[in-house]
Amino acid sequence: MLLLVGLRDINFLSPQNLVTLVADVVPLLIMATGMTFVIYIGGIDLSSQSIANMATVLATISLPALGVGSALLVIAAGLLFGAVSGVVTTRLKVPSFISTLAVGGIALSVGQYASGQQALHMDTEQRRHAFGWVTGQTAGIPHILVLALVIVAIAWFLQIRMLPGRTLKAIGAGEPVVVASGIRADRYKILAFALSGMFAAIAGLMFSIRLSGGSPTLAEGFLLPAIVAVLVGGTPLTGGVGGVLNTLIGTMIVAVVRASMLYFSIPATGQQIFFGLVLIVAIATTIDRSKMKVVK
Amino acid sequence: MFELQNIEKRYTGVHVLKGVDFRIDDGEIIGLVGENGAGKSTLMKIIYGAVQQDGGTIQVDGETVTFRTPRDAMKMGVGMVYQEQSLIPNLTVMENIFLGFEKPFVRFGAIRWKKMAEAARVQLAKVGLDIDPATITSRLTFAQRQLVELAKVLALEERVEGKLVILLDEPTSVLSRDEIELLFSVVRALRRRASFIFVSHRLDEILALSDRIYVLKDGAVVDVMTAKDASIATIQKEMVGRDISNEYYREDRQIPYDENKVLLELDHVGVAGRGNDVSLRLHAGEVLALVGVEGSGREPILRTIFGMLRPDRGTLRIRGKPVRSFSPSHSVAHGIGYIPRERKIEGIASGMNVFENMTLSQMKNYTKGSVLNISAERKLAREWIGKLSIKVPSEYADCGNLSGGNQQKVVLAKWRSGGSDIILLDHPTRGLDIGAKEDVYAMIRDMSADGVGIILIADTLEEAIGLSHTIAVIKDGDIKKWFNCQPGAKPSLYNLIQHMV
Repeated sequence: MLLLVGLRDINFLSPQNLVTLVADVVPLLIMATGMTFVIYIGGIDLSSQSIANMATVLATISLPALGVGSALLVIAAGLLFGAVSGVVTTRLKVPSFISTLAVGGIALSVGQYASGQQALHMDTEQRRHAFGWVTGQTAGIPHILVLALVIVAIAWFLQIRMLPGRTLKAIGAGEPVVVASGIRADRYKILAFALSGMFAAIAGLMFSIRLSGGSPTLAEGFLLPAIVAVLVGGTPLTGGVGGVLNTLIGTMIVAVVRASMLYFSIPATGQQIFFGLVLIVAIATTIDRSKMKVVK
Repeated sequence: MFELQNIEKRYTGVHVLKGVDFRIDDGEIIGLVGENGAGKSTLMKIIYGAVQQDGGTIQVDGETVTFRTPRDAMKMGVGMVYQEQSLIPNLTVMENIFLGFEKPFVRFGAIRWKKMAEAARVQLAKVGLDIDPATITSRLTFAQRQLVELAKVLALEERVEGKLVILLDEPTSVLSRDEIELLFSVVRALRRRASFIFVSHRLDEILALSDRIYVLKDGAVVDVMTAKDASIATIQKEMVGRDISNEYYREDRQIPYDENKVLLELDHVGVAGRGNDVSLRLHAGEVLALVGVEGSGREPILRTIFGMLRPDRGTLRIRGKPVRSFSPSHSVAHGIGYIPRERKIEGIASGMNVFENMTLSQMKNYTKGSVLNISAERKLAREWIGKLSIKVPSEYADCGNLSGGNQQKVVLAKWRSGGSDIILLDHPTRGLDIGAKEDVYAMIRDMSADGVGIILIADTLEEAIGLSHTIAVIKDGDIKKWFNCQPGAKPSLYNLIQHMV
């Protein structure tokens, strides 16, 4: 695909363009990484986009007062919203697609309320002071990209080498086994949702810093590509296999497809049609039918 | 007459059926036995049309037929009574019986329920079941549902020419002794209407019911015997290909337990919602079998001990200390291991490899600051693969692909390697073939010798008698009778059954 577009316009393959392409995808990558944990246990998180929206607003509002501390506020908010989804899903036994949809609705509303329904802008000087290190470049490599890769690396280590990661895998593979092995599975499920919420908030924060502002609809159109990135990467909706590295690859695929569509001048509004179709194909081909005998 | 000639079947390189010949005469009851993996279920699937053979022919009354779907087979009078029942619980009995065949009852697009009820009553009468056809199926007992299932297959009779062939796949596995007798008498009475293929792991039942017995081994028929000339020992020998030792349950290795060391004590415990009162003591090295009919309340006792259920009253003491918080994690932390009946659901996480499964219950021992020490995990797995001779290519093998016996060994290794010394075994040999069963029995003896206390719910009464030091007979949730089970002075089946029903 890269080559195909490269044939049409050789500039597409220039290192500068590729770096920009990758840097553009950072918020999506972080959101998809968080989402991976929830899909890994066989759930789904539909609140990511709304939490990211809320995060852009909260970051912009709190920047003058808190400076770099606004990042912590935003991350804590994401963690909290994710944890609420987790508690609702495990303790109240509400399926995750409903619980996260509901929590997403709340997050969206918080964003709208806090922003007064309008786009907000960061003060250039304050932004440079607090987050200049994020927007900068060293030797042509944007810092934001390095930061994103560090975050993904941490998530990856958590998944493959740490106790919570192993537990999440086991929950995805077969939750009754985990319970019968004396593990408090609910706690780890809540953790997965909390991580997803936190990563969504970080994604929103990054987006907000890049665009120097926030609005309750800024991250619109992120949810579908994020889910596509996870599934195309190879973490099926039924969970248990795949993981963070898969999502990294999936995000790259989504990024290339999206950039290619721009080059073929397919309007952004039309892109969702494509991602919707890809999502259906990805789910239909990757889902583990032995775990889902009946689909409703 | 129904006949299979030279049936061949391969699944991606595995030769499952190697030229199987199989014949069933009108009104005959055929027993079909074989170890797991011998090809029984594939053969059955070919007979009722769920799978197509690669070679060979199927003949009904001398004519060659092709079954593409189970419906094709049903049109030729071949019906299946499923092991995991196929009735839809929230439909009525008659709706279930005529599911997919409602056409004769439809007038102007609407179903005439009275006519259907009438027809359903005819079918129910064949199996001697006197229930209202409009009953919702979920209200029936398990045994009644089994009979409805049989009636459903018998309803084919009016729709096809010639005799029926009915497959019964492990129909007795969840029935009590009375219910089994009832089912058998129904089957015998139906011989003039249909012939039966009866598949079971329980050889005594095969002997009691069948006229002829087909023994399947490694995808081929190794012997066909008439039931009156056969015995359990000869069938077993044909199935396994060697003599089964008389010391099947390793009774020679049963040593007295340590009476002074009580591992677990239930003191007038009432299992949640059952209003019963259970007291028992489990000692180091003891195998205590809970014996009773299906639904007598054995599993809830086990689940209470494991912390999955909270008792209504009474005290549970682990090594003398009363338990206050009931959860599996608490029980595991205090050395209780649970080998569940549903191995594939609660025992093994398929998709995870051997070491990941083994350390699942004890990950804290293999982490430092939450970071897993994978090389230590692998070392543990290799050690136990050797100790229990688990057949796997490496510790990275996906446990979902292992045979039942090897899966069970992984589950046992999980608890034993974590140092659990109170082991709860719920049907540990269910669905295992004879070789794997013997391995499990040997492991139980090994654990006893190491001072582990075991509570056992056995697959058969013989197994409970053979393995245990002590037997508690349970009926309606309460312990009705205790038996001492020293080698040479073991109670008989008859002794136990008296108190079970």
